[in-house]
Amino acid sequence: MNSLPSTALIAASVLLPLLYPLLALRGVWRGALRALLPLLPLPALVLALLSASPWTLELPWLVLGSTWMLDELRRSFLLLTALLWSTAGLYAAGYLGAEQLRRFCVFWGFTLAGNLGLVLAGDMASFYMFFTVMTFAGYGLVVHEGSDRACFAGRVYLVMALIGEMALLAGFLLAFRAADSLLLADVAAAITTTGTDGWLIAALFLAGFGVKAGLPLLHFWLPLAHPVAPTPASAVLSGAMIKAGLLGWLLTLPIGESGWAPWGQFLMVLGFVGSLGAVLPGALQRDPKTVLAWSSISQMGLMAVLVGAALAAPGHAPLLVPLIALFALHHGLAKGCLFLAVGLVLPASRVLRLLLWLLLALPVVSLLGLPFTSGALAKGVMKDTLLALPGLPLGSQLPLLLQAATLATLVLVARYAWLLWRQLQPGTVATARWAGWALAVLCSAVLFWYLPGVG
Amino acid sequence: MSLTALLPILALLSSLLAAVVIFALPESSHRLRTLVNLLAAVLKLAIVAAMTWGVFRGVDFSVSFTMLPGVNFMLRADALAMLFAGLSAVLWLLTTIYAVGYLEDSPNRSRFFGFFSLCVASTMGIALAGNLFTFFLFYEMLTLSTYPLVVHRGTEKALQAGRNYIIYTLGGGVVLLLGIVWLHGLAGDLAFRETGHFQGVDPSLHGQLTLIFVLLIAGLGVKAGMFPLHGWLPQAMVAPAPVSALLHAVAVVKAGAFGIVRVIYDIFGIDFAYRQGLLEPLAWLAAFTILYGSVRALSQIDLKRRLAFSTISQVSYIILGVTLFGPLGTVGGLVHLLHQGIMKITLFFCAGNYAETLGVHRVDELDGAGARMPATSIAFTAAALGMIGVPPLAGFVTKWTLGAGALAAQMEWAVLILLLSSLLNAAYFLPIVYRLWFLPVAAPWPEERRWGRLETNAWLFWPPLVTMLMLVLVGLLAPTVVSPLSWAQLIAVRMYLP
Repeated sequence: MNSLPSTALIAASVLLPLLYPLLALRGVWRGALRALLPLLPLPALVLALLSASPWTLELPWLVLGSTWMLDELRRSFLLLTALLWSTAGLYAAGYLGAEQLRRFCVFWGFTLAGNLGLVLAGDMASFYMFFTVMTFAGYGLVVHEGSDRACFAGRVYLVMALIGEMALLAGFLLAFRAADSLLLADVAAAITTTGTDGWLIAALFLAGFGVKAGLPLLHFWLPLAHPVAPTPASAVLSGAMIKAGLLGWLLTLPIGESGWAPWGQFLMVLGFVGSLGAVLPGALQRDPKTVLAWSSISQMGLMAVLVGAALAAPGHAPLLVPLIALFALHHGLAKGCLFLAVGLVLPASRVLRLLLWLLLALPVVSLLGLPFTSGALAKGVMKDTLLALPGLPLGSQLPLLLQAATLATLVLVARYAWLLWRQLQPGTVATARWAGWALAVLCSAVLFWYLPGVG
Repeated sequence: MSLTALLPILALLSSLLAAVVIFALPESSHRLRTLVNLLAAVLKLAIVAAMTWGVFRGVDFSVSFTMLPGVNFMLRADALAMLFAGLSAVLWLLTTIYAVGYLEDSPNRSRFFGFFSLCVASTMGIALAGNLFTFFLFYEMLTLSTYPLVVHRGTEKALQAGRNYIIYTLGGGVVLLLGIVWLHGLAGDLAFRETGHFQGVDPSLHGQLTLIFVLLIAGLGVKAGMFPLHGWLPQAMVAPAPVSALLHAVAVVKAGAFGIVRVIYDIFGIDFAYRQGLLEPLAWLAAFTILYGSVRALSQIDLKRRLAFSTISQVSYIILGVTLFGPLGTVGGLVHLLHQGIMKITLFFCAGNYAETLGVHRVDELDGAGARMPATSIAFTAAALGMIGVPPLAGFVTKWTLGAGALAAQMEWAVLILLLSSLLNAAYFLPIVYRLWFLPVAAPWPEERRWGRLETNAWLFWPPLVTMLMLVLVGLLAPTVVSPLSWAQLIAVRMYLP
C-alpha cells in the first residue's frame, strides 16, 4: 500500500460528512451546520488530488470485511464528487433559510457520505452500503420543500430506487456466489465464466444502476425529482449522484471480457434512445430545471453508448473507460453550474450583468463541445474513438447518430438558456450563493486545462 | 459441586430468587424492588458473560440429575445456548430499566415484576436446557409466567387476549409433549447434540420420525408465530409495552424459534432432516409466513399491531435460515435470532415511548413526532431501516447472509422472498418514518406528559438509544470476533464439522 494518503485522511473523507449530522442534535449548533456545508467534501478533495498512485486499504473488521481503494477511474469520480458537492455546499449555505435547516443538513451529510464512500468502495458490500445510504438520504433532499409536487416526486423516486436497490442486492448476491469473493474487481471475470447466471447478473446490474443513471424506461423519477429539490440539491443529484449509476456499471458490468457484444449493442441502442428521445419532452418544459433534468437523461444516454461500446469492443475497453470518466467529469461539473444558475438574480450594475451572462455561457458552450472547453475534449475524443473503432455495432449509422445527439444537446441547452433569460429577475441574494456558483463555473472552465494531467 | 456445574444453576437461580423476593415485598417498597430487579439482572448478565467466555474457550458447563427413571433434568451450556442466553440477559436488563419507568404509577407492580422475573428464569432455562424434557419444562413455565403479564391491565380486552394466548400456547404445548413422549418411547432420553442423533438410523423408523418431527415443529411453531398458528400474537398487543417488547423480541417468539433450531440440529441432525426432505416444506411455510406477516402489517393502523405482524414475518426469517441446508443459511438464521431481537425491542420501546409521552397509539397520530421526540424517533428510524435491510445495520447482515445461504443451497426462490419481503418492510415502515420527520403536527397530542429536560422519562429515554447503538454496531462491526455474526459462525462450524 502506498503510504502517501494517510489512513486518517481516507477515514476523514467519509467520516466527516457521516458524523456531521450529529451537529443537528442541538439547536444552537445551527451556525456550525451552515458554515460546514462547503467544507465537508474537502478531505475527499485533498485525497483525490494527493493520490497520484493507486492505493488499497483493507478494513477486514468493517461490515462484511471491507476494501477501500482509489485507482485512476475512481479518482476521476472522486474529484467530480468532491468538487461539485463542495461548490454546491457553498451555494447551499447562501440558499437555505432558517426553516428546517437542520433536517436538510442531516440528509445532505448522509447523502454526501454515501456518494463519496461508494467511489472509494472496492468490495460489493461497501459499494452497496454507500449506494443505499445515498439513495435513502437523497429522498430527504428531494422532498425537502414539502410541496405536493415534491412529495409526489419523492414517492416515485423512492419506489423506483427501492426496486433498483433490490435488483442490485440480487445481483451482488449472485455475483458473490459466482466469484466467491466480495471484491468488485472479481465480478467481471466471474460473471463471464458462469453461464446463464452471468446473464442474469449483468441484467440485474444494468437495470439496478440504470435507475440511478436514468436509462430509458427507468428514468421516470428523474425529471420529477431533480427539479423539485432545493437548487443546490438538484445540482448534486444531476451532476454527481446520477454518475454513481454510471460508476456502478463500470465496476460491475463485464467490460473488457469477450462475448458480451450483443449486450453492448443493446446498451448502445438504449443510450441513443435516451440521448435523442429526451429532446422532445425536454424542449416542451417551462421550468429550466426540468429542461436540465431531461438534458441529463440525454447526456447520460451518450455515456451509456460509450459503456455499450466498451462491452461490444472489449479490446478497446482500456481506451474507452477513461474516456467515460472524462465525459462524466465534464458533464457533472457543467450540469452542476447550469442548475446552480437557476437560483441566481440579475445584479443592478450593467457590467456585472454582462459578466453574469458571460459566466453563465461558459458551461453552456462547454456542454455543446465548443473549443477550449472540457466538453470539446470529451465529445471530440468520443467521436474520434467511436468512429475509429472497427466493427462496432451500428457502425454505418454512428456518424449520423452522433450528429443527431449533438443537435439534441443544442436544442435542450438552447431551451434552457432561453427560459433562464426570461426568468432571471433583478434582486439580491447571499454572497455565498454567488461564490458557490462562480466557483463551480471556475472548476468547470479550468477543467479543460487540467485534464491532460488526469488522462 | 464444581464451578462448571454451578454456573448454569446460578444463571437460573438469579432470576428465580429475585422473583421470590419481589413477590414477598410489599407493593409500596418501590425502591427496594427496583434495586433487587436491577441487581439480579446485572448479576445474571455477569454470569452469562462468564459462561460465554468459557464456552468460547471450550469449557463444558453442564449439570444433570435423574428425575424419574429414564428422564433426566439436564442443563448444558453450548454455543447455541449462549446465543439465546446472551440475548436474553442483555435485553432483559434494558427491559427491566424500561419497565420501571413505564409502570411508574400503575398498580400491581409487585405482581408484575415477580412474574417478569419468572419469565427471565424460564427463558434462561430454555436456553440452557440440555434435553427435550428440560426444554419442555421451562417452555411451559414460560407460558404460565407470561399469562399474568399479558392480562396485567385487567381490562376485558386484555382478559380476552390472555384467554386466546393461553389456549394457543397450551394447545401447542400438548402437541409438543405428544411429540416428545413418542420420541422418548422410540429412542429414549436424547440429549441435545450438535450433530443430531439419527444419522444412519434404521429406515423402518423414518415414517414415525417424520410424524414426530411434524408434531414437534407444530408445537413449537405456535410460539414462533408461524402461519397458521400465529393468531394469539397480534391480540397479545394489549399488554404493556415492556411486555410486548419482551414477548416479541426475546422470550416467547424466540423460545419457539430456538426450539425449532434445537429440534432440527440437535435432535434430528441437519443432515438427516435434509435427506428425509423435512426441511423443504418447512422452508416454504416459513417463506409464506414471511410474506403473509408483511402483507398483513401493511394495513394495520395501530402501531403495536403493525409491529406484531412484522414480528410474525421476521421470526420466520430465522426458520427459513435454519432450513437452508448449509452453514451460511444456518449462520443467517441464528444471527437473526439476535439481530431481530435487538431491532424489534427498539421498535417496541419507541412505540411505548410515544404512548406514554404523547398518548399516541396509532400510526396516523404520529405526524411530526420527530420534532417533539427526536431521540426516540431517531431510534425508531434506525430500527425500521434495519428491518428493511439497509446496510450497515443489523438487518442487512442477516439478509445478506441468508441470501448468500439460499444461493449456496441452490434455493434461488428464497432470495426472491427476501427481496419481496424487504420491499414490503419498506412499504409499511417508511410511511411511519415519513410521518415522523416530514409531516407537520396535525392535532394536539392525545395525552401529553412532560418530564423535565429530556423528551420523556429518563427510564424510558435511554433503553431504546442503547439498543439502537447495538443494532448499528452489530452490523458495522459484524466481522469482529465479539459480534453476533462471529458467534453464529462458531455455532455453525461446530454443527457442520463435528
